[in-house]
Amino acid sequence: MKQDYSYVGKSVDRNDSYGKTTGHAQYTADLKFPGMLYGKLIRSTIAHGRIKSIDTSEAEKLNGVKAIITAKDVPSMKWGLSPARFDENIFCIDKVRYHGDKIGAVCAVDEETVYKALKLIKVEYEELPAVFTWQDAAKEGAPQIFEEYPGNLNTEIHHHFGDVDAALKDAYYVRTDKFQGQRTYHAFIENHASAAYWDGDRAFLYSSCQSVHYVQYHLCRVLGMKMGNLTVRQTNVGAGFGGKLDPTGLDFAAVILSKITGQPVKMWYDHAETFLNGRGRHPMTMELTTGVDKNGKILAHKFDCVLEGGAYTGLGIASSYYAGSLLGVLYLIDNYKFDCRRYVTNLPPCGAQRGHGQPQPRFAFEHHIDLVGEAIGVDPIDMRLINARKGNSITTAGYEVKSYNLVGANKMARDASGWTEKRGKMGVGRGIGVGNGGFVTGAGFCQYRTDYPHSVGMVKIFDDGTRAYVYSNAVDIGQGSDTVLMQMAAEAMGYPYERCQMVTGDTDLSTLDFGAYASRQTLMAGWAVKRAGAEVKKKVLAKACEMLKASGRIKEGFGYLDGPLTPEDLDCVEGIVFVKQEPAVKLTFEEVARKYFVDHGVLLGRGWYHPGKLGGNHKGAAVGTSPAYSSATQVAEVQVDMETGQIECVDTWDVHDSGTIINPKLFHGQVHGAFYMGVGETIWEEVKFDKKTGKLLNGNFAEYRLPTALDMPPVESLTLDDSYEPNGPYGLKEVGEGATTPTMGAVANAIYDAMGVSMTELPITYEKVWRALRDKKASGK
Amino acid sequence: MYLPDFEYYAPDSIAEACQLLSQFGAKAKVLAGGTDMVVKMKNELLAPEVVVSVKNLEQLKKIEYVAGKGVCVGALCTHNDLVKSDVLKERYPSVANAARQMANNQVRNRGTVGGNISNAVPSADLPPIFIALNATAKLVGTKGERTVAMEDLFTGPGKTVMAQDELIAEVFIPDQKMTGSNYIKFGLRKSGALAVVGVAVAVQVENGVIKDARVALGAVAATPVRAKKTEEFLKGKNATDDVLAEAGVIASGECKPISDIRASAEYRTDLVRIFTKRALRKAVDEGHV
Ligand SMILES: Cc1cc2nc3c(=O)[nH]c(=O)nc-3n(C[C@H](O)[C@H](O)[C@H](O)COP(=O)(O)OP(=O)(O)OC[C@H]3O[C@@H](n4cnc5c(N)ncnc54)[C@H](O)[C@@H]3O)c2cc1C
Repeated sequence: MKQDYSYVGKSVDRNDSYGKTTGHAQYTADLKFPGMLYGKLIRSTIAHGRIKSIDTSEAEKLNGVKAIITAKDVPSMKWGLSPARFDENIFCIDKVRYHGDKIGAVCAVDEETVYKALKLIKVEYEELPAVFTWQDAAKEGAPQIFEEYPGNLNTEIHHHFGDVDAALKDAYYVRTDKFQGQRTYHAFIENHASAAYWDGDRAFLYSSCQSVHYVQYHLCRVLGMKMGNLTVRQTNVGAGFGGKLDPTGLDFAAVILSKITGQPVKMWYDHAETFLNGRGRHPMTMELTTGVDKNGKILAHKFDCVLEGGAYTGLGIASSYYAGSLLGVLYLIDNYKFDCRRYVTNLPPCGAQRGHGQPQPRFAFEHHIDLVGEAIGVDPIDMRLINARKGNSITTAGYEVKSYNLVGANKMARDASGWTEKRGKMGVGRGIGVGNGGFVTGAGFCQYRTDYPHSVGMVKIFDDGTRAYVYSNAVDIGQGSDTVLMQMAAEAMGYPYERCQMVTGDTDLSTLDFGAYASRQTLMAGWAVKRAGAEVKKKVLAKACEMLKASGRIKEGFGYLDGPLTPEDLDCVEGIVFVKQEPAVKLTFEEVARKYFVDHGVLLGRGWYHPGKLGGNHKGAAVGTSPAYSSATQVAEVQVDMETGQIECVDTWDVHDSGTIINPKLFHGQVHGAFYMGVGETIWEEVKFDKKTGKLLNGNFAEYRLPTALDMPPVESLTLDDSYEPNGPYGLKEVGEGATTPTMGAVANAIYDAMGVSMTELPITYEKVWRALRDKKASGK
Repeated sequence: MYLPDFEYYAPDSIAEACQLLSQFGAKAKVLAGGTDMVVKMKNELLAPEVVVSVKNLEQLKKIEYVAGKGVCVGALCTHNDLVKSDVLKERYPSVANAARQMANNQVRNRGTVGGNISNAVPSADLPPIFIALNATAKLVGTKGERTVAMEDLFTGPGKTVMAQDELIAEVFIPDQKMTGSNYIKFGLRKSGALAVVGVAVAVQVENGVIKDARVALGAVAATPVRAKKTEEFLKGKNATDDVLAEAGVIASGECKPISDIRASAEYRTDLVRIFTKRALRKAVDEGHV
């Protein structure tokens, strides 16, 4: 299947590297418009309560304050990301549901005045008792956060495939383990920001988001606007990791405030507010039971999972489904029972974060399966090899899996890491562990109900052929999607990559794409621009054929031609159109394109993509079904200080089964970044709240400790040569999220190998390790 | 996240600076690198009406050896000045090494010795090593100069014996008989983390016998503290692993840590034991002060 490509498979430079490395790149907060006002949100200072009154009179008197809005000034329609659970208002109407909830917004002539005005606004509350853990939320008589969710139960899932109980009864060995995950935060560097202005009845919004389409859709729905009347645009986006998929209060407020004042309004969050906006990883409480035969083959698996959801649903339903839906893709499990509950609590809402609902369940399962293997004397990698799915198969839940080489990934990681010589043989304090993962390459369905294609692309060739504009509203949030989309479009057209330019981040000018989530863009937008490029090429070859014939350079029946010259006799590569049988007979793409423009006007190519009907019929099948699945194995080696509990991750290996790699440099960047996030969540990161008030305690990067460059181990990122995905353009599949899913398990397993105590609660902090070692010593084992 | 309004002065002499501090009294604050103060001001924890920047006081930016006396470190030296100083590398590498473990490169380029001391947080990294090396601080005020032992400077979290009109001008590390010193900082990641525990030691070892020892602990009490019982215990003992381990146990009994968002008191107490032992081992073995 491997072909010689001009751009696909090449580490071409990113299109944004110059701007970003020199500081020229503009982000939303850099934007300035004449007469622009500055705005911020008014936030709740209690965790749960009824709003009795909001007194803005003092603030309104402050010189420079232009407008203050609260719930009474804005539409009351609820929004969210899961149609079944729209439960969020632009501003709280009757109740606040967490410390930091959105009460209103202020705009003024400058930043300083906004902050001063915020201090003058007085909100009176009738405080209600609050709950900060799902355990408290689930108690009899617990305070009700929403009327719609009795007992604070936000969603419930019960999937049952096969006959788990019977299979467990027959198993050679059965084991149950419990795990606890923590709340983490995306920690993107660019905080949310929005800027809006109006022109007549048309609004224009710049939003630092992961999907211009969803922001446009949700805002129009709530504000009662036609989508053609609201343009959503973007500058560069300083990452998202799932935290910029939901529209924010800033998006709504900027549009409304600029309408009221008649002036452009820019709004932004500082870091603490971005923490309060939340939508990060759900803490999950997990119980896993597995029955195996004596070789370690899984006969049945039971997974019980509870998600602590925070105040609103957001993407939380999808997070809940993702917690259980992909296990059956990785491993062959005929009998599988997944029970899941998500509770609302009085904390910022949780949502999607790289790997979505999957990383904590991956951590739990990958550690659990090591404990199972240990009990029956099977090596961790052998446990995985015995149970790994193979390609061209259908999961128990009905998902179709085409390319899938988890077996190859495990073997390669085993050999590269020196596993056999190291595992269990490095002495006390040093350990090596393995974890598997993978992800969907795009979701099978839009987040709201529509029959639209998921990605639409277009290529327009400039009049004289000297530039190709590639259109797609796929969002480059730093992962480099613009670059790989242009590589694919350039390849399909046979046009130089260096002369391509993205037209993106604009719902007016560019073409529909659902955005950056579910690791979908490279495949879905990739198909759209590849098809658009192919259409351009077709037109170019036809025109070139005409030109060559007219030039008299080709004589019918001459040499290799047994009939008249047809476009099929031609090809176009890197901007040169040539006769395949006699490459010396050629034209430049530019001259052909120019002629096309003279004869017909704009040279356009169009493409689109819809995944069609995918596998799975059960309730919730929509979350997990995908045109293609990646798989991955990571091995981590750690050093644990057996006195202090300090953990150092010293080395790692990653093998990602990602199909064709469009841009190796960007691919490895994703793997490094994914491991970085994963190891951070394993050892260091946790969002903390005051246990009595629910107030955020560590909304900054001093106390929310991400690993630093010094904490990051070298990562050897490897690929499988024969990986090719028939459902992906050029045979590709995802890397962005999948690579973060094996990490917690791999690192936790290495820690276990090093210290001999199983750590089941994330993050595995130095102090927890110290405590576990002390307890082990005290118990004399 | 915006700075409150304040009046700003940048005097050219120490006398003028002290004069301003005296004139404006409690309304005024000294500004050095600003890495503590500006952060606090932006977070609304501090709102001085007058800010007196000491950035023009060039004479406070030097690190010098005064022959036969000791090393003089100007209060306006940045942490990276300490890291790069040849004088310190030669005479007190443990001080340069303590500075190297602080914050991150950007903050080390701005944060100053005087700021680190005056700020008086229990977790500050420089005070313990200065205490272990028996350093003193020269304070200058409108009424003149005085010298205070580093260990007597701190009176509580954020509190020192300094008067409102006083500046720290320099830190002086006297020539000494100590043969080795060391500071170990334990933070919750390798960089950009405040100390959960900091242990500084200085020892005088002759023929394997500890003649004298000073042990100072950071982040485990309201101020940096000396572990005097540990010091007494060590005197006259052979520097064996068992002795140093025992010293660790004694030191862990001398600290009074609190539990906070970073670590529990229990954990900190045990870390004092571990790092006292390790810092002593290094100071004994490496044998340079
Ligand atoms: C990201 C980050 C990481 C940090 N990490 C560490 C760390 O690892 N270890 C650590 O110990 N600290 C750390 N700090 C704290 C800080 O950087 C240091 O304490 C630094 O030494 C303060 O010096 P400064 O010159 O910036 O002080 P400033 O902020 O200018 O002043 C601090 C205080 O000292 C007073 N002051 C300053 N100079 C004098 C003087 N000469 N005489 C009298 N009073 C004076 C000021 O009035 C103020 O009250 C960190 C800070 C940040 C922002």
